[in-house]
Amino acid sequence: MLPNRSRTSVLVFLLPPLLLYCAAVLFPILQSLFLSFFSWNGISEMEFVGLANYVRMLTADDIFWRSFFNALLYLAICLVLQLGGALVVASLLTSLRRGRELIKTLYLLPAVISTVAIAFLFVRIYSIDPVGLLNQLLHWVGLGSFERAWLSDVNTVLAAVSAPEGWRFTGLYMLIIYAALIAVPKELEEAAVLDGASKWTLFTKIRFPYIRPVWITTTIMATTYGLRGFDIPYLMTNGGPGQSSELLTTYMYKTAFTSTDFGYASTISVFIVIECLVAVGLILFMLKRKADS
Amino acid sequence: MITQTAPSTPRGSALSSTVHQRRRRQPSLYRTLSRVLIMLIVVVQVYPLAWLFLTSLRTEHDFATGDPFALPSSLTWENYARAFETGDLGRNILNSFIVTMGANILIVLFGMMAAYALQVLGFRLSRFVRALFLVGIIVPVQIALVPLFIDYSAVNLLDTYQSMIIPLAGFALPMSIYLFSSFFEYIPRETYEAASLDGAGPYRIFGLITLPLSLNTVVTVVLVNSIFIWNDFIFANTFVLSEDLKTIPLGLQNYIGAMGKVDWTATFAAVCVTITPLLLVFLVLNKAMIQGLESGATKG
Repeated sequence: MLPNRSRTSVLVFLLPPLLLYCAAVLFPILQSLFLSFFSWNGISEMEFVGLANYVRMLTADDIFWRSFFNALLYLAICLVLQLGGALVVASLLTSLRRGRELIKTLYLLPAVISTVAIAFLFVRIYSIDPVGLLNQLLHWVGLGSFERAWLSDVNTVLAAVSAPEGWRFTGLYMLIIYAALIAVPKELEEAAVLDGASKWTLFTKIRFPYIRPVWITTTIMATTYGLRGFDIPYLMTNGGPGQSSELLTTYMYKTAFTSTDFGYASTISVFIVIECLVAVGLILFMLKRKADS
Repeated sequence: MITQTAPSTPRGSALSSTVHQRRRRQPSLYRTLSRVLIMLIVVVQVYPLAWLFLTSLRTEHDFATGDPFALPSSLTWENYARAFETGDLGRNILNSFIVTMGANILIVLFGMMAAYALQVLGFRLSRFVRALFLVGIIVPVQIALVPLFIDYSAVNLLDTYQSMIIPLAGFALPMSIYLFSSFFEYIPRETYEAASLDGAGPYRIFGLITLPLSLNTVVTVVLVNSIFIWNDFIFANTFVLSEDLKTIPLGLQNYIGAMGKVDWTATFAAVCVTITPLLLVFLVLNKAMIQGLESGATKG
């Protein structure tokens, strides 16, 4: 603590940021909680309905549950692509002698592109008429029977809208994991190699335990980002066909701004917040416990 | 490590040579395989973007009928002309620039101030305040849409630059505070104590010591946040209606015509124009940006 500080000086530095943060983040969260107990379309009188919105959401709304499970699957696909892909590429990269910087740059490139551009791009990649990149590729490798309109097929659409999100950010997570991997002390690795450790043992026993703290951070980042996924599904399919690519976030958005049901949309928002807090809690709990055992 | 402590003894050199042998024997298969895999993954990451650019140079006929992987049969800049006719790309880029600048100023200045109060000045409730800021990292931005929409319409802020800047800055603030605090930890206490003995108060110390020392962190924070702010879709889409204020992501949406009929080659040309500014910054400053992203998370 600075010796000459005064109470005013703390306030001078702290208050402006705190006010902005309260206005943009904290107050809206409380407001959502408040609104979730009301029925309101933005124009008429607000009507207090108690827990009715929550009861409706949890017991009577099939679309809500559909979106919830879709969101979980969306999250799973993103996590596999982002964390799995990042870990594989980062490990491979450490074995490379030259060109690491170039590959890092290229790999991060998609993260710079806006979601709207990515949505356009992938609409064309999945397209069947004119034939898009994916279908053409399948045709070439002799899997022509798999060709389809990926975004209109209810069985593939959810995976099709999840993949671009995963694709977009693998580079980001790869960078973080790579930075952690090259910080693993060389002495440790070489000692293990001397003891005859295989590449796999080297990875599971030395490298991974060493990067575990970073892995926890990355998992939390990827999970919270996955749960707030919105842009790409919204832009590519708007949740369709039917509700087959609807996520909680897109459903909340439509409830709020298409059906102007602000009360019920806030109820869904509150659920999303709880879901995120629970997810982060679970990750910390599981990964910490594994580290202790 | 043995080879370092006793490099000249026979035992040490024998050991180190077996290590080298292992290193040299394993590579052939493992190394080739990993190289091929890396190249493959890089192609997956980069080819779609190259394809996007190539498509923007194709003629419409070529695009509608040809093999998507084939090189364009002839190059044309017409798509770019149509792209500029359809939308107001210059305006969109300018708007994105204003929003990115505005949000970044708030993020950097406020982030630094809060970190200074929390880390350097210190006060009794600082742990509690830190926990409050942590909420903003975990909570998804969508939670704020409905409340902010209602609040904005109450105070006439809908459809303004501020309506985008406030939540963009608010949600980025925690990460910025966190980055600045972890940097301030490295400034030695003695520096502050010496300045205090010379009679400098908290304001002068902030202006004369903390601020100039943090310039590197400022670059990091600005670069990392700019990617997200420049490309923000959800706040702009919710709070902005008028053409004059549309940022790039919204401007691009104008290319989706009525009935879903889309002039794809012109759209791709527009996409290429709009990603150029950020892409250039990224390619020029990618070292700083990569370092920023790496340090941002590994410190946590």
